[in-house]
Amino acid sequence: MTKVAGLSLKYIRKAYGDVRAVDNVSLDFADGALTALLGPSGCGKTTLLRMIAGLEDPSAGSISLGGQDITRLPAHKRKFGMVFQSFALFPHLNVSDNVSYALTIAGTPRGQAAARARELLDLVQLSAFADRRIGELSGGQRQRVAIARALAQEPDVFLLDEPMSALDAKLREDMQVELRQLQQRLGITTIVVTHDQHEAMTMADQIVVMSEGRIEQVGTPQAIYHQPENAFVADFIGKANFFDGVTEGGNVRLGAHLLQITPRANFIDGSPVRIAIRPEKAGLVGEANRLPAKVTFVRDVGPVRDIYLDTPIGPMIVTDSDSGQPLRIGDAVAVALPAEAIHVFPRVADQVAA
Amino acid sequence: MRRLFGHIFMALSGLVLALPIIVVAGASLNGGRTMLFPPEDPNFARFVEFFITETIWVRALQNSLIVAFGSATLAVLLAWPLAYLLWAKGSKASKVLAGLGSLPFALPPIVFGVGLGFLWAFIGSLGAIWVGIVSHATLFLALPLVTISIGLQSIDRAHLDAAATMGATEAVTFRTVILPQTLPYSISGFFFALVLSFNEFIVMFFVSASAYATVTLQIFNSLRNGYTPTMAVAAVLFITVSIAVFSAVARWGDLPRLMGADQSRN
Amino acid sequence: MTAVDSTKAEMTAPVPQMRRPWGTWALGALILFLAVTPFILVIVISFGQKIEGAGWEWDFTLANYQRFFVGALWPDEVTFLHLQRLYYALYYAVIASVLAVATAFPFTYLLTRQSRRAQSCWLVFILASLSLSEVFIVMGWDVLLSNRSGLPMLFEVSGATDWLKRTGWFDVLREWGLANPRNVKFKTSEFATILTMSYLVWPYAVILLYPALSRLDPSLTEAARTMGASPTKVMTSVILPTVKLPLIGSTLLLFVFLLGSYVTVVVFAEPAKQTTAVAVYESVRGATLDAPFGAAQAVVLLVTAALFLVLAQYLTKRSEAR
Repeated sequence: MTKVAGLSLKYIRKAYGDVRAVDNVSLDFADGALTALLGPSGCGKTTLLRMIAGLEDPSAGSISLGGQDITRLPAHKRKFGMVFQSFALFPHLNVSDNVSYALTIAGTPRGQAAARARELLDLVQLSAFADRRIGELSGGQRQRVAIARALAQEPDVFLLDEPMSALDAKLREDMQVELRQLQQRLGITTIVVTHDQHEAMTMADQIVVMSEGRIEQVGTPQAIYHQPENAFVADFIGKANFFDGVTEGGNVRLGAHLLQITPRANFIDGSPVRIAIRPEKAGLVGEANRLPAKVTFVRDVGPVRDIYLDTPIGPMIVTDSDSGQPLRIGDAVAVALPAEAIHVFPRVADQVAA
Repeated sequence: MRRLFGHIFMALSGLVLALPIIVVAGASLNGGRTMLFPPEDPNFARFVEFFITETIWVRALQNSLIVAFGSATLAVLLAWPLAYLLWAKGSKASKVLAGLGSLPFALPPIVFGVGLGFLWAFIGSLGAIWVGIVSHATLFLALPLVTISIGLQSIDRAHLDAAATMGATEAVTFRTVILPQTLPYSISGFFFALVLSFNEFIVMFFVSASAYATVTLQIFNSLRNGYTPTMAVAAVLFITVSIAVFSAVARWGDLPRLMGADQSRN
Repeated sequence: MTAVDSTKAEMTAPVPQMRRPWGTWALGALILFLAVTPFILVIVISFGQKIEGAGWEWDFTLANYQRFFVGALWPDEVTFLHLQRLYYALYYAVIASVLAVATAFPFTYLLTRQSRRAQSCWLVFILASLSLSEVFIVMGWDVLLSNRSGLPMLFEVSGATDWLKRTGWFDVLREWGLANPRNVKFKTSEFATILTMSYLVWPYAVILLYPALSRLDPSLTEAARTMGASPTKVMTSVILPTVKLPLIGSTLLLFVFLLGSYVTVVVFAEPAKQTTAVAVYESVRGATLDAPFGAAQAVVLLVTAALFLVLAQYLTKRSEAR
């Protein structure tokens, strides 16, 4: 497989009337890596993917592949394989003919196309189903056929739009691992659109978090989780407790309490800020930033406990995995917020904590 | 470019579709009694004739209205139990019955008209206006049958369970859950039957036995003498009524869904 | 087996059941009486006999069918006059229905890609024109195609007639019967008949194709495009194969519908090229007054129509089963 390197987006914008579905997106995709476009529904991630595929024209900006500008190149001339949310398998063709469609219409001899289809069906472990009708397949099998079909033309870039959304939860986790292994084996540049952070974190080398048409953060799954750059990312990826306060000498004041922050927050004194702390980083034991708290609810799901607390700075949830301390509703405890685990984000003054 | 081409094609289709209607509307303005387009000496004299002065047209219009409203009402009343039976039981017998009920609409109307002519002649009521009403109700039974069936299918059966758990008897469930949810569909079916009855003439020709005439039948009867601008006035009236009725259906109902569009899209 | 039965029972259980079987029976009887007896009567009377000057009487003779297929004087003399009328009925209906579907298909496809609101507006217009009586449609085309006004006049005034005469096309048109010595002429002609018939069923074609095309998943065509199919290739390799059955089914339904069209043929077809529907009318209520023979012709029309309806039904079922 010869690979054309370097898919790159510059200042991409897509407007529908007054609505900006995608706003000023610039991105470089690493060769052979899997990038996940992650965000809530309506954030513009699917529109962005469709523009990369050539199914929508950007209102502004450019897309290039290996240094060539392909912004105005129609979809059928791009050689990008795509898996659709509904899989979009052709009901009038059987499994094998679906997989070899790209080759057949390109004029590949029948025998050769069929051989390639067999090869691809082998790859997705569906060799036995080559002659089946699409209607006879289960959801998981359909997805494999859709993947095999998209790979048939040896695409420069492999695109997947919410590929797991039509599958049930158990199957979804298996397919995530399987798809990731397949992608690594083929070493193909891949872009997956998803609204599921677990899916993104399971599969991706790089995650692009989007909201309201804009990129919020780009980074590895670990970076996105542990160093969120803003309140949206902290909230969207994993769980977080949020509190509003103001800065005071690099620390944050919330009413009567002054929370120590490490490293010190780089704000002018009195700036309104929002702080976030992940439930598993806060704890009932520890010395830093201790606050009195009252237990309001305990959710014990087995390996961990979520403890719902009322504190002077507001309600919060602490995930406790090792204290083993017996707790009942109404118990008075103390909660510790490690200084290095508190993320501080700027806040517009009248914004209200989520 | 492709998109522009598509728009041009659609506009052109619309134009061809509108062409005869435009021409007829123009011809209705003729001052004289010959069908000319563009109209000669344009005025509204033919409208006055059609609606007021010429009793033959006034009476025909009355008959048209009586038959259309009567038959559409009857068609809905007949279609309701049949559609309900089909939905609630789904038995083979009800399917066959629904199929037979739709037969007159599917087969050439001239054959059904001839048959009805024989039937009413046997019974001895050929030429009565109620015969016209019953005949049209049978002919257009398929329309409310289809729309009401679509309406019934859209009812979530969990709603019926919910009503039952809250103490509703079958009759109460029917009145409070099924009827309100299918009302728009019943009304659509009524209007479809109404408009088509208004325009139908072949079956009416055979069952009226020249005892009375509706507007379209009156035009049909004088076909050999050629068209006159007064008839064009009727055409203008009829197209106006159709557009008004279907606009109302589109406004208060979901026309694309009624026509079979996929709900999940758009 | 029992498991299937019990789930079925569960599914139907919440629906209120009708408790009065006699009501159901009465409804069934009424519908049978109104919708089916007329057809049975036509079939029965088609075996009856005409009484000169009076009417007709019950009988069981095949004379009416013999007259239809080989002529009344068979075996001494054979005429195919009535078969020829059936042929013209089929001929007009086939061309007009294919023409209507062929032009309504791209229109409907484009229509289903519009916004829901725009679709509603178009549908109102289409339905209004669909329900418009044949007498009005023929009236419109009559004006448009008549020699004194409409298109022939437009040809004359715009100089198109002269242009046709100069280029020699005028003689071709005359050969086709679409021109008199002075100008183009569309009445009476096969062209006018088929044109009006296509127009008559065109809105029906849109309404019939609409469900299939609006349920066509747009991601199917997009998938084809990402796999290198040009727009033309998308049409031939994805859209047409997917809607092939509804397309044929719709054509058949329109064809059946057109078999019975009357006014169009009376006004636009040449006297020698009238159809069975016209002949039925003439026999039952027109000049000849021969009800049994009219019924026999109606039965032939009925059987022809039923055959194609069954075929259409079968195709629709098959396309839904997929």
